[in-house]
Amino acid sequence: MPAVSMTVNGKAVTGDVEARTLLVQFLRENLRLTGTHVGCDTSQCGACVVHVDGIASKSCTLLALQCEGAKITTIEGLAEPGGALHPMQEAFRENHGLQCGYCTPGMIMAALDIVRRRGNDLDEHTIREQLDGNICRCTGYHNIVKAIAAGAKAMAKGGTRQAAE
Amino acid sequence: MSATGIGAAVRRKEDFRFITGSGQYTDDVVRPGETRAAFVRSPHARAKIKSLDASAAKKMPGVVAVLTGADLANDKIGNLICGWMIHSKDGTPMKMAPHPAIASGTVNHVGDAVAVVIGETLAQARDAAEKVKVDYEVLPAVVDPAKAQAAGAPQIHADIAKNTIYQWHLGDAKATAAAFAAAKHVTKLDIINNRLVPNAIEPRAALAEYDVGTDHMTLWNTSQNPHVARLVISAFVGMTPEHKLRVIAPDVGGGFGSKIFIYPEEVVCLWASRKVRRPVKWTAERSESFLTDAHGRDHVTHAELALDAQGKILALRAKTIANLGAYMSTFSSSVPTYLYGTLLSGQYDIPSIYCEVDAVYTNTAPVDAYRGAGRPEATFVVERLVEVTARQMGIDPAECAGATSSRRSRTRRR
Repeated sequence: MPAVSMTVNGKAVTGDVEARTLLVQFLRENLRLTGTHVGCDTSQCGACVVHVDGIASKSCTLLALQCEGAKITTIEGLAEPGGALHPMQEAFRENHGLQCGYCTPGMIMAALDIVRRRGNDLDEHTIREQLDGNICRCTGYHNIVKAIAAGAKAMAKGGTRQAAE
Repeated sequence: MSATGIGAAVRRKEDFRFITGSGQYTDDVVRPGETRAAFVRSPHARAKIKSLDASAAKKMPGVVAVLTGADLANDKIGNLICGWMIHSKDGTPMKMAPHPAIASGTVNHVGDAVAVVIGETLAQARDAAEKVKVDYEVLPAVVDPAKAQAAGAPQIHADIAKNTIYQWHLGDAKATAAAFAAAKHVTKLDIINNRLVPNAIEPRAALAEYDVGTDHMTLWNTSQNPHVARLVISAFVGMTPEHKLRVIAPDVGGGFGSKIFIYPEEVVCLWASRKVRRPVKWTAERSESFLTDAHGRDHVTHAELALDAQGKILALRAKTIANLGAYMSTFSSSVPTYLYGTLLSGQYDIPSIYCEVDAVYTNTAPVDAYRGAGRPEATFVVERLVEVTARQMGIDPAECAGATSSRRSRTRRR
């Protein structure tokens, strides 16, 4: 079995994978980072979104071997080591942007990428359009959109990081 | 508004683990020595299993076991059940066809399981599942509920004529007929409430662990009601006595009803875990969810509304064919009966209602409660009737049927 090496949430990791092992499987099963979820088999749902070299990517549609040498950030890598949450995470909590939580890591990772590409002053139309690759079955999206707008604004302020409860 | 006490916003307690990716959904749980299950499923809507050869699959790397419907029957594991008895108009009980957790004689819907492979890894289990050779004799199938009772339609289950599960009714047929006879306007509508697939973003999953030392079993399951699962799997499926079964629903990623029911997969995982004496985990792929999660709705209805010249409703009657799929799911019988017929008045004052429901088998995925369960179906019927009536009679739907006026007049009389 070929070996693959990459950096995940700032830590260098190595694992033995099959050629067909998906990045999401490597994260969940080899590294036990189960915050990244699998919700579909067509790349549509977005529950698997992580950042690969700073860009939001669907980890269900990447082979682990394709990520040799890459820098990966997952949902587990957002909060400060001390526990303070990222402003975007906090915004989801403050704005009731989640119910079952299964789509939430993918939504948060996608949201950060929207901010990277479109800035901190996001209007509703932009957010809804840019979330085309993320599906939620619980909330009807309304509060997710509110959360992302609020999180984007909070990030501009340098982000008030609140301690984890 | 103060920060605490009455009127203060209350934050949810569970959000912290979800926004940090530290939730524990069933697939996240890992048990030492865990094996993975992959099901072999019928590609046909209806077929006879002529033969099943697992010999090649058993030799594949990492395969711990390949188990079939025959193995399940030999171990005397009971069938899945529908727990809600409904009687037909003539008093006969509903016709519940046997529903084994793995099919052995015939398969009755695309996705019906015929075998399960237990492997060291998921990839190995899936590879071996592809090597299980099943020889099917494809049989004619019926999938349209409106055609399931027709003369000449294939009879899906032995001894269940016209694929009819029950013929139920509710209300006063005579009074309703009289009201229709006296009506100045009758609206008639044929509507279909199409089948829906719930598609919670978290696919269904089951992780079963048999404890060799104590003969106890633990099931982690994407269940909306672990107590019901524990009861049904122990007392009705007969897996093990209730006190020897623990069912844990950890974090569940949406259900909307689809995770209420007791499915074949958790039964198979428990049984397989006891056979191989190791934990067995199964997680659905999305395509597998489409095939095997209980679907919703699937009604074909002829509905009529009787009104007087002023647009006050006198009566409503509806005849519905409810498609329950290939097997009766856990609560299926209740959805198009007591959760449907009793809701047909909607928000309107309707003096007489008569509702007839025929529940039928078809070669499709089982249908059960989904996000409203019968009540959205009833709402659709009554609101469509009122809307069409308003257009036909040239009145405002909001004023139609004396909805507001009859309520106002009742209030004034007090």
